[in-house]
Amino acid sequence: MKAVDIALKDIKRSLRSAIALIFMFVIPLLVTGMFYFMFGRGSSEGEFNLPRTKVVIANLDKNAPRLQAGRNSLPGGIEAHTMSELVVNILRSEEVSKLLEVSLVPDASSARAAVDNQKAQVAIILPVDFSRQFADPYGQAVIEFYQDPTLTLGPGIVKSILSQFMDGLSGIKIAVNVAFDELEAKDYALVNQVVQQFLDTSNAQQKDVATALLDERTPAKVQKKAGSLVSVLGPLMGGMMIFFAFYTGTASAESILREEEEGTLPRLFTTPTAQATILSGKFLAVFLTVLIQIVVMLIAGKLIFRVDWGDLTSVAITAGGTVFVASSFGLFVNSLLKDTKQGGIVFGGVLTLTGMIGMIRIFAVNAPGTAGMTNTVSLLVPQGWAIRGILQSIDGVQGTQVLLNTLILLAWSAVFFVVGVWRFNRRYI
Amino acid sequence: MNAIEVQNLHKSFAEIKAVQGVSFNVSQGEIFSLLGPNGAGKTTTISMLSCLLKPDEGDALVMGHSIRKDPNGVKSVLGVVPQDIALYEDLTARENLTFWGKMYGLRGLPLKKRVNEVLEVIGLSDRANGRVGKFSGGMKRRVNIGVALLHKPKVIYMDEPTVGIDPQSRRNILDNVVELKNQGMTVLYTTHYMEEAQELSDHIAIMDHGEMIACGTHEELVQIVGEVDRITLTISMLTGDTDTGKILMAWRAIDGVREVSTDEGAITLLADDSHRVLPPVFEVASANKVRIIGADIQEPNLESVFLHLTGRALRD
Repeated sequence: MKAVDIALKDIKRSLRSAIALIFMFVIPLLVTGMFYFMFGRGSSEGEFNLPRTKVVIANLDKNAPRLQAGRNSLPGGIEAHTMSELVVNILRSEEVSKLLEVSLVPDASSARAAVDNQKAQVAIILPVDFSRQFADPYGQAVIEFYQDPTLTLGPGIVKSILSQFMDGLSGIKIAVNVAFDELEAKDYALVNQVVQQFLDTSNAQQKDVATALLDERTPAKVQKKAGSLVSVLGPLMGGMMIFFAFYTGTASAESILREEEEGTLPRLFTTPTAQATILSGKFLAVFLTVLIQIVVMLIAGKLIFRVDWGDLTSVAITAGGTVFVASSFGLFVNSLLKDTKQGGIVFGGVLTLTGMIGMIRIFAVNAPGTAGMTNTVSLLVPQGWAIRGILQSIDGVQGTQVLLNTLILLAWSAVFFVVGVWRFNRRYI
Repeated sequence: MNAIEVQNLHKSFAEIKAVQGVSFNVSQGEIFSLLGPNGAGKTTTISMLSCLLKPDEGDALVMGHSIRKDPNGVKSVLGVVPQDIALYEDLTARENLTFWGKMYGLRGLPLKKRVNEVLEVIGLSDRANGRVGKFSGGMKRRVNIGVALLHKPKVIYMDEPTVGIDPQSRRNILDNVVELKNQGMTVLYTTHYMEEAQELSDHIAIMDHGEMIACGTHEELVQIVGEVDRITLTISMLTGDTDTGKILMAWRAIDGVREVSTDEGAITLLADDSHRVLPPVFEVASANKVRIIGADIQEPNLESVFLHLTGRALRD
């Protein structure tokens, strides 16, 4: 009972602190809100749409070798007679029309001028010999990418789309070059055949270019929810929630050091209250404070930003694991500190670093081909596992995968808790 | 019966010997002061008696409970007023008292009733719902004391409770201490203010460098060093032919005057009882046409005892 009294007292103090409230609720909501408005607010259907990026293309490619690919073999059934047309048509395809607004201009200077005059965010210039250079085993096909330097997101999306498509073609070209070297023959038709083969394969695998390029995390076994083109806000809000939950856990656990400095902790030790009860009360306070924060943030995310957190059981299990790991992490970090002066410095460094590592998979969503690496790196820190759990829940994953992730969170918690309690006990006995 | 029996307590922090072989007894219902300069070992002694620090050697019994073997027993009969204010500044006075009452095992209606009583005792009933952080230093000190009274402890430790507060609050606290004694509580009081120890205490232990250098009642301590009243006179001669040597001889001859000396125009008389010797001193002065324009009387006190025992002033 005394432990509960201590916990309730601590929570009351936390909730009376304007700074604590700002860090617990205002900043995560504010950051998410900024992204919300940055991305043009939610649509009436409850989806979240990115603003369309204006792209101008100058296709200067002349006398190019014709592409021997049938309409049905090309992505989205688009028609293209040359490699440059293929690139243009990919960018103008139905699949990416919600992301890109593409127009054609006759020459390179007009394309650059459109960007300079802020009529477009990106200019793509396909040079005169683009297709020929591509078909030439020793040639180098270069696309000029001219963008407004003040923008990152829109040009990033265009770059992602182009890169992913061109990366595949480049791979094919390397394969062809190797084959040419082996065969000692220079048959341009062979290049087209291989490209054709690639297109057939990629078309079969990637029906929806936009979906593939935007790294929507939908496990193979899960039925993807209808009507969610881009789920940027859910992961972002989840990431913010977890980042600041760890901050709250650490700041709340700092009350042990603060009470030590204020003299109230030694005074507690002079009352007929066992040390274990006092420390339990302090930990309970941290746990409940983080719990309140996460519940409020989940509800706020749902109500304000219409974030679909996924199945209630999954999100509850993941949130529970997150609360445990954020609380015990706070206890652990504080147990390593001498006083609150050290805390200010360490919290800034440790929490920002581990938080950013944990969130790297969210920030790297626009970087093609890095998903595997960023996911692995993010799992080096407990925040990464918590974010993984919340993303699983958003993606509709249920059952053992969510449970397994939560068990790993609990294992992190157990280690942090045991070390933290051991160090605090040693400190005060 | 003794409320506190301290037996040969020792405590060191690395190379520093904070407390060395301190022993004393405190009878039930008395005020016992530990007097000494900062760093004398008073707070370390109190901390060991509060079970906050484990002694390296020795033991103490508080109402029969050993600080080594039965710390919970000690804590249940004990109220502690720490040297620094140990309160939650973002909680109100009532919330603070209620929380600490719960830590002492009080619940429900008895807790509510006791909180109101304590607020009355410390004179803060009208500010009960004000946040402690907004209180003056004196008001905070009073709440700090109030916390220790909640569970009606048999023994209360007060570690320099009047440091850094205004005279009015100090007076209030000293009156409270006397009131606690009148209610039958045993008070162990530490201070470096000689006047407080002198005014409040039934017994005083003087500490220096972790050791107890003297212990007894105020009168006993003064007798230990055998000090006498010191009368410092400032005089002016009414005529130019006054024989100073003759006057000094005459003063020295007065019954009760032990010694007369001069130093840069001031004359110092050491006397057994200043009140008794002052009239004849003035008579001799008048008879020899000398006017006494200033007289400073310093009765033997704990300051002089400390000076005598350590060669240093208490406030050094």
